[in-house]
Amino acid sequence: MTKQAGGERVSRAEDGAVTPGGGPLCGYRVLDLTDEAGALAGKMFADFGADVVKVEPPGGCPTRRIPPFLDERAGPEDGCFFQAMAAGKRSVVIDLGQPEGRELLSRLAEAADFLIESFPLGYLDGIGLSYDALAAGNPRLIYTCVTPFGDRGPGATWTAADIVGWAAGGMMAMMGAPGRAPLQVSVPQAFSHGASEAAVASMLAHLERARSGRGQKVVVSMQAAGVWATNAETALPALEGRSLSRSGIIPAGMSRTSIRKCADGYVQLMVGGGVFLATTVGLLDWLAEFGPVPGVVAAIDFATWTPERFRSGDAGFLAELAACDAAISDLLLRVTKAEIVSRSDANGWVVAPVSTMADVARDRQLAARSFYQQVEHPGLGRDLTLAGPFARFSGTPAPPAWRAPMLGEHTAEVLRGELGLTAAEFAALEAADVIGSASQGALR
Amino acid sequence: MTGVADGLRVLDFSWFGVGPITTKYLADNGAEVIKVESRKHPDGLRLTPPFSGPPGINRSQYFGNFNSSKKSISIDMTTSAGRGLVRKLVPHCDVVAESFRVGTMARWGLGYEQLREIRPDIIYYATCLQGQTGPRAGFAGFGMQLSAIAGLYYLSGYSPEELTPPHGPYTDFIAPRFGCFALLAALDHRRRTGKGQLIDLSQYEATLQFLAPAITHYFATGVVAQPAGNRSPRYAPHGAYRCRDVDGRERWIALAADDDQKWDATLAILGAAASPPGLAAHADRLTRPHEVDEYVGRLTSSHDAGQLAAELQQAGVPAYPVQDCSDLRVDANLRDFGFFGVLEQAECGPMPYDGFAYRLGRTPGSQTAAPNLGEHTSEVLSRLLGMSAAEIRRLRDDNVLY
Repeated sequence: MTKQAGGERVSRAEDGAVTPGGGPLCGYRVLDLTDEAGALAGKMFADFGADVVKVEPPGGCPTRRIPPFLDERAGPEDGCFFQAMAAGKRSVVIDLGQPEGRELLSRLAEAADFLIESFPLGYLDGIGLSYDALAAGNPRLIYTCVTPFGDRGPGATWTAADIVGWAAGGMMAMMGAPGRAPLQVSVPQAFSHGASEAAVASMLAHLERARSGRGQKVVVSMQAAGVWATNAETALPALEGRSLSRSGIIPAGMSRTSIRKCADGYVQLMVGGGVFLATTVGLLDWLAEFGPVPGVVAAIDFATWTPERFRSGDAGFLAELAACDAAISDLLLRVTKAEIVSRSDANGWVVAPVSTMADVARDRQLAARSFYQQVEHPGLGRDLTLAGPFARFSGTPAPPAWRAPMLGEHTAEVLRGELGLTAAEFAALEAADVIGSASQGALR
Repeated sequence: MTGVADGLRVLDFSWFGVGPITTKYLADNGAEVIKVESRKHPDGLRLTPPFSGPPGINRSQYFGNFNSSKKSISIDMTTSAGRGLVRKLVPHCDVVAESFRVGTMARWGLGYEQLREIRPDIIYYATCLQGQTGPRAGFAGFGMQLSAIAGLYYLSGYSPEELTPPHGPYTDFIAPRFGCFALLAALDHRRRTGKGQLIDLSQYEATLQFLAPAITHYFATGVVAQPAGNRSPRYAPHGAYRCRDVDGRERWIALAADDDQKWDATLAILGAAASPPGLAAHADRLTRPHEVDEYVGRLTSSHDAGQLAAELQQAGVPAYPVQDCSDLRVDANLRDFGFFGVLEQAECGPMPYDGFAYRLGRTPGSQTAAPNLGEHTSEVLSRLLGMSAAEIRRLRDDNVLY
């Protein structure tokens, strides 16, 4: 595991310049005005070396207090969501509720390449920080609004929690057991769909800005981004006159998903022909090591498991499939997840462990690729381990991971060092609680 | 055609979900994305329902949805003449995309190192489940497998004994955004430096970005995140609650409240006189979520989900009906965002498509339907390579264009 020290960052924005080792997006500045609905968007930019300045209200962005926490404390540096999703960003505390704060943001926007926000629709417009207002000072600005349900429908001003977005986009209705409540994933997902879509859409606008020199306003609908996760089932009502509903508790599963219990957990595998045939046959051979396999299974001629026969759905084939399915389920109960994965690795089977976070943390594929990154966090007095980069570049590797910023850690650096406020101006704004800095002890 | 990706050309060997969805972002915004397939090895989704009308290689809406606005050329890559044609096309392209098992393209002489010799600034996007390197680089599988491997299946369920995975090849709809973002970053880097590069997108590593908080938590505490139904450490109530059936169909509402004001507003709208004494404070509700769920579920059961969501939202409480796909088709917010569309497909006629989840205000993209297999073979070969009709015919007769 690579470890990044807690001192200086590797690269800093240099007005569009490319810094060796700085990552493919080094030199760009992003103003991140998002809460949990957009946090991942800025994180994606930061991962590739952009200078992402998180503008936070006094007291800190609410994302700092999303549980679970690193330990017993629940302070602004203790949340796992924040440490993960703000990694690599800088923190500047500005109160946009005060006119002087809004003026500071306008000035920051003049030198920014991107602004990403997830306030309730109309909030920034109402305080003089609309796209049009900021574009007047910086026509190159790309201004991306992450909305829950779009900006034009009856829900344009509605608010969301992650579970509400999951429901609105169609994923929830397909998850859970019949007769019981539809479910979300226990690590919430919906906001991340919208936020990652916002990152892509912002970069699409950037592609055009390189030619035209002009920015634009981008609007993202988290709900619509979530619909993309439904596996295009949205066409079923029109084309097949049906819609999918909750499919049940495993191992009943839906036809295209099959989780099975093993001795100490679960694995995912499909019994069948085609790409699943080698796995099916291999597992049955393994079963034979424990004793005789059922006669029906032993008698199967797998050469007859052709796609044509599978598609025809003939009764003999289905009986064979069911027999194999039962035999394999029987085998799996006798062996552990680790044994199954080990055999699968050796034989190239299509078998997937149903991993826990502990399994994912120990995964040898991720270890071989040095995925996890350890960072020092002087404010917490400990190291943290973060998810690593999501893409590997041969020419411009992503810069090493950097920890999340402490509240107001970069207020002075950005506003004095880069925006050019004098010491007196800075002190006056700080005294009026327009801005907050770590040195002030931030931060109430 | 005008779009942000005008002028870009992508030679796209990718198939199924992640690769095609990645390049679709470019195609829908004006890039010329040329899909390379053959009748021998069509994109597997072409054979997968739902179909528009009878099954057929050009009739899958599932395929269509991920391949809008693209072109298709049919070349049998198992022939050396076919691979030779591709090598002639590469210099005309900015991006090569592929999602084969690791090593396949290199065996065809079309790996990154081989192609950069003929197009030095090529951007080569390679995506597979677990990445191009490492002991499981060659792992073949789909999004269902990866959802299990990456921890999403275990985190989905009422309890560890009652797992209920997210629908379908779920990670196929996470990874493309990371892939496209990386591709766009590489294109910008090429613009600034003139240099191309290889992008290795591990769908596993991309997916883990959605689980990053749980990863940090595990490493910091050793606590293994558990499937917890709809429980939340932040909200109570937090879940899906049964509403009045409509036309014999179950209706549910998702709602969440994280303070007393939202709780009180919820109760008022649901017609409860006052909070049960033990549940009046947010901190108490967080410790007694079962009671909260039971109480709220009793109250919602007589309400209409749609109307209730609108009323709760008016009061500032996050809420939405739990929508299935038929609900999505008539959802007013998706409609007003312009999400669903109908595109004219060459063989099928009008076909339903999912649209944009984003809107570029000044330069909106525009979609056309997915191509028939090989629909653009002649057009692309004659335009880019200057091949004559006779040459093209000969290659067809030789089953190179197949």
